[in-house]
Parts: sequence; structure tokens; C-alpha cells
Amino acid sequence: MTPDSVPLLEVRGLKKYFPVRSGLVFDRKVGDIKAVDGVSFEIHRGETLGLVGESGSGKSTVGRSVLRLIEPSAGEVLLDGRDFLAVKGRELRRLRRRMQMIFQDPFASLDPRLPVHAIVSEPLEVEGGIGRKELRERVDHLLDLVGLDTGSRNRYPHEFSGGQRQRVGIARALALDPDLVVCDEAIASLDVSIQAQIVNLLQRLQEHFRFSYLFIAHDLSMVRHVSNRIAVMYLGKIVETAPTEALFDNPAHPYTRALMSAVPVPDPDIEATRRRIILEGDIPSPANPPRGCAFRTRCPVAMVRCSQQVPRTLEIGSGHFAACFRAAEPAAPP
Amino acid sequence: MTALLDIRDLSVAFDTDEGSVRAVRGVSYSVEEGEVLGVVGESGSGKSVHALAIMRLIPAPPGRMESGEIRFDGQDLLSLDRRRMRDVRGKRISMVFQDPMSSLNPVYSVGFQLRETLRLHLDLGRGAATGRACELLELVGIPDPRQRLSSYPHELSGGMRQRVMIAMALAGNPRLVIADEPTTALDVTIQAQIIELIKELREELGLTVIWITHDLGIVAGLAHRVNVMYAGYVVERGPVRAIFKRPSHPYTVGLLSSMPRMDRKDAGGLRPIPGRPPDLARLGPGCPFQPRCPLADDGCREAMPPFDETGDPGHHVRCWKWPEARAGHDGGLSLDA
Repeated sequence: MTPDSVPLLEVRGLKKYFPVRSGLVFDRKVGDIKAVDGVSFEIHRGETLGLVGESGSGKSTVGRSVLRLIEPSAGEVLLDGRDFLAVKGRELRRLRRRMQMIFQDPFASLDPRLPVHAIVSEPLEVEGGIGRKELRERVDHLLDLVGLDTGSRNRYPHEFSGGQRQRVGIARALALDPDLVVCDEAIASLDVSIQAQIVNLLQRLQEHFRFSYLFIAHDLSMVRHVSNRIAVMYLGKIVETAPTEALFDNPAHPYTRALMSAVPVPDPDIEATRRRIILEGDIPSPANPPRGCAFRTRCPVAMVRCSQQVPRTLEIGSGHFAACFRAAEPAAPP
Repeated sequence: MTALLDIRDLSVAFDTDEGSVRAVRGVSYSVEEGEVLGVVGESGSGKSVHALAIMRLIPAPPGRMESGEIRFDGQDLLSLDRRRMRDVRGKRISMVFQDPMSSLNPVYSVGFQLRETLRLHLDLGRGAATGRACELLELVGIPDPRQRLSSYPHELSGGMRQRVMIAMALAGNPRLVIADEPTTALDVTIQAQIIELIKELREELGLTVIWITHDLGIVAGLAHRVNVMYAGYVVERGPVRAIFKRPSHPYTVGLLSSMPRMDRKDAGGLRPIPGRPPDLARLGPGCPFQPRCPLADDGCREAMPPFDETGDPGHHVRCWKWPEARAGHDGGLSLDA
């Protein structure tokens, strides 16, 4: 990966707060759920950034905010250096087509009343300026690319298995030749033997079209497999970002270390000798996050300072950032 | 060691619009006292249905036990009348399900539901039941157990709810706990907590556990022995090391090579299993994996192989071509057509 001077996508200080309301008669705001609380990252052309976190970390909200499927509360989203959050109307539509999304649940994200060819051609028709014959060829080409035979063009979503339906969702996402594809848990609901098929397809398509992925997932093994760089989220914030191998060689944030140690490995010999970091308790509510470092209530190495100050994100290695007062220390001895 | 549970030739079918569908096909195995048996399979493999059959919880109709014998602690479960089978459930065998939110009653407090279970199984009085409920919550690692008794399920996190379900499963002092994807709905750090808890409980209480999952990683760290299921059949079974180090069914080999590994940089891409799981209503006479199998030939299409011994103690596989599959694992068999 050669980093270009202007990244394809640059996100700065992104926030998304959902108001918490109370009262039947006098509807008033009583607080905020800080689903995303100041997230910054960039994605270069042809690159895959993995965004991992557990439920409630805000990773899906980041994906949706970047595409403005929901409007962010604050921050900047720059596409090719242009402020995507400021554009309106025709300009918004023009930029939006460059970023597409593949959703987790192909059962819910495809219109059950439309045959496959209509699902895939819809974005092209909305875009306009394409003849019937060309449209048909383009749809067939897309179906071919994602591994569906053209005989399936007149079938409906319910006639497909989960993996095939996800292929339809991918064909639709690629119809307008996007620069960035956001995959939000795109393989999470598929069987293990099908997940690898879809991931290989996603990778082949990226090699072919050179677009970028924001790959949002909870599955650290798969994220390692597909990503050039990885950002780890906890309670609305990115706690660590690094090139993939740097992250696994030298995880700096205690949450990243705990997350890695919690993932089971399909090898009984390794499992028998692994030392797990078992985190206490649950992820706190984003409506009422802990003061200071949000992770300190579950952190095995928290200090007094962690409850008083929010740790700043520091570069601890080339392209390796962590938001922890103790990030520079070596991993705790086993 | 003695077999606590012994299953012979268990088959379960469901009547559907498309005819009779056999979800479990001639499953035989035994579980030793004190061990953890991992049952691995994907959706439709029959792993959950076979567990419901052990508990005799298959709804009939449309379900039907076609054949089989289930002996638990020497007793034939299929011959018990309903009242005596109720005594087995909860008191001798209990289950933990995937989704604690739908297994717990949302309108009753945790304490009410635990006490109800205790009074039903152990015939305890009110005071004694409350005391025991507290002990159980403490046993499964719930802080402030006395206060938690008055909590309602929605007030607890997913991990805490699953701990409550485990406490309820233990209420009748069962000898066997069947856990059906108990951590699938949980985050990975919470999953690690629950797995740790089950390991501790097994040692403390001498429990025998059947852990049903699609996640080979969990099985590697938890199980002593493993059954791999596909399309209703157990296709491979053996000690955990044999299954992972010397997998011999092409499906097991394929699963292992299609999974990315968190603990190492992968050499090259994933090698997925081509095709997709079979339609159980349209299975031919041969091996159900044969349409996806790179080793399949005419023999595989004609007949389902019996179990063969691989030479590793206790390691059995239902494949005509297992020596090739095993060699393929060692040499990186490519299933990707």
C-alpha cells in the first residue's frame, strides 16, 4: 500500500449522540447516548480498514454516519478532501453513489417483492442515462461477477440461501462502481463454510476494482484476515489503530489485548496453554460512560489517573496509535 | 470411566409439506461421566434437534422419533412415561439455550423464577428456596446475589442473563448439562467469561457437559471429545486432538481450512468449502457431503459409508475416502473448485 497524499476518506472527530427523552406530557431531553464520541480515521485507496468492537461499541453507527444514513452530531467526513457533511441536493447524491454499503442481514436488506435483476438494476436506473439493453448487460455482468448465474435474474430473494442473497447485496452495492464499500457485519449471519466463500469474493472484487473497504465486524479472526489496518472501538471511541501485523505483534491497549485473548483458536494444544485475560463485568452504558478512560472499569491495569483524565491518542509506533496512559509499557508479564 | 449417556441409532424426522425430512440420522455415541463433549455443526446439521430428542422435547407432530435408544445412567429414557421423564428433565439432565431473553419469563423476577424451579425440583420451602437461589447466583458469579433476586430479566445484561440461565439449569443438581450455543449471542469477552465459568463448574460439581456450537475454536479449548455433524449424521468423532490435528472427514478438513486464524498471519487465502449445505428433503442415498466434496466418486453417490476406525484411539469417521482427506489436510487439500 502506498499512502497517497489525500486519503480517499478522512473522518475527524465524528460524534453521534442520540438524545434520551423522558416525560409523557412535557417531552424533554434528559441526556445523550454517546454512541460515537469523537472518532477519527482515514482510509486510503484500495485499502481495507477493519473496525472491530463488541456490541455497543458504536462501530455500526460509525459506518452509518460516514454514509449519512444517519446524520452525525458533529465532526467531519472528507471524501477526496471534500466535506461530505456539508453537501446537499444533487451534489450529495453525486458523492453518495461513490460510497455503498453491504448489510449484515441479506434477508432484511433486499426488497422481497423485487426479482434479483430489479434489485441490482435499481441503483443504475435511479442514476439514469442508461439504455435497456445496456442495463440488462450490466446487470448480467454484475451477477456474473458475484458468482450468480444469469438464470437467477428472475428469481426472488426468498428463493436464495443466505450466502447467495449476500451475493445479490454485493452486486447491488457494486452497481455504481463505488470507491468505498462499507461492510457492516456482512458475513456474521452466514454459516462458517459460507463465510469464507463470501470473504474470498469480497477480496477478489477489491483486487479487480481497487475500491476501499471499511470492514466492520466483531470477528477479530476475520478482520485480521481481510484488513490492511485495524481500528479497535470501545464505548464510542477508537482505543487503538495500527497496521494489521503491528496490532497483532504488539497490541498496546489493554482492551485490544483482552479482546485478542478472548478469541478462541481452533487448536487444542494452543488453547491448553493460553492465558486468558478475563475481563470483569460488562460494557458500561453509553448513556452514562465512566469518567476518564471509558475502559477503566474493566481494565486489569487501571490506575488512579485513568479515572481523572481521558487518555489522549498517541503514536507509539509507525502508524500505530493507542489511547492509554500505559500503552507504552510492555505487555503485562504472564 | 463409565458411560453416563449412551445413544444408539437415533433418528428424528419431521413431517413437512415437502414430505418427511430426517433431521437426525442414525446418531450413536456415548458420553463419559465428567467429560465435555463438543458437538460441532452448521445450521441444519441436526445438532440442536438431537439434543432436544435426548430431552424428549421434540414436538410431535410434526416431529417423530423414528428409531433409537437413549440410555442415561443405565435407564432407557424413551421408555419412561411423561411423569418420570419430567423428573429427568432439570433434575438429572438440564439444558442451557442460546437466547436467555426468550428462555426467561420477562414478567417475573429472577428470584421468582429460580425459586419456582427449586421448589419444583427439590420440594424446598420458601425460605430454603430463597437461600439456595442466592447460593446458585453466587456460584455462577453474579455479584450481590440477594439484590439480583428482585431484578427482572430486562434489567440484566446478556452475559448476566446467561449466568441466571446456568443457575437455573443447575438448580436441580443435574449430572448432565446440555448447552446449545450458549455463547453465540454474547460478545467475545463475555463468551470468555461464560466458558471459564463452565470449566470451573465442571470441576467443582463434577458435571458432564454436552456443548453444541458452530465454533470450532470454542470446542478446541473446552471439549475432551468432539462429534462433527453434517446433514443429520455424525460424520466424524474422536478425541479433541485427533479431530483438530488429524481431521479425517473432508468436511472437517474443509471447515478448518476455511476459517481464518486470529493467532497467526495466514499463508495465502481462505479455502472455502464450495457449494452450500444440502436440502434435507432431497438427500440421495449416498454421502450428504458428496456434492461439495473434491474427493467424491460414484461410490460416494451410491451409499453412505459406515464408521471406520482411523487408527487413532477412539477416532472414527464416516467417509469412504478418509485416508485421502487426512493426507489432504496435512498437505493443504484444496476444496475450492
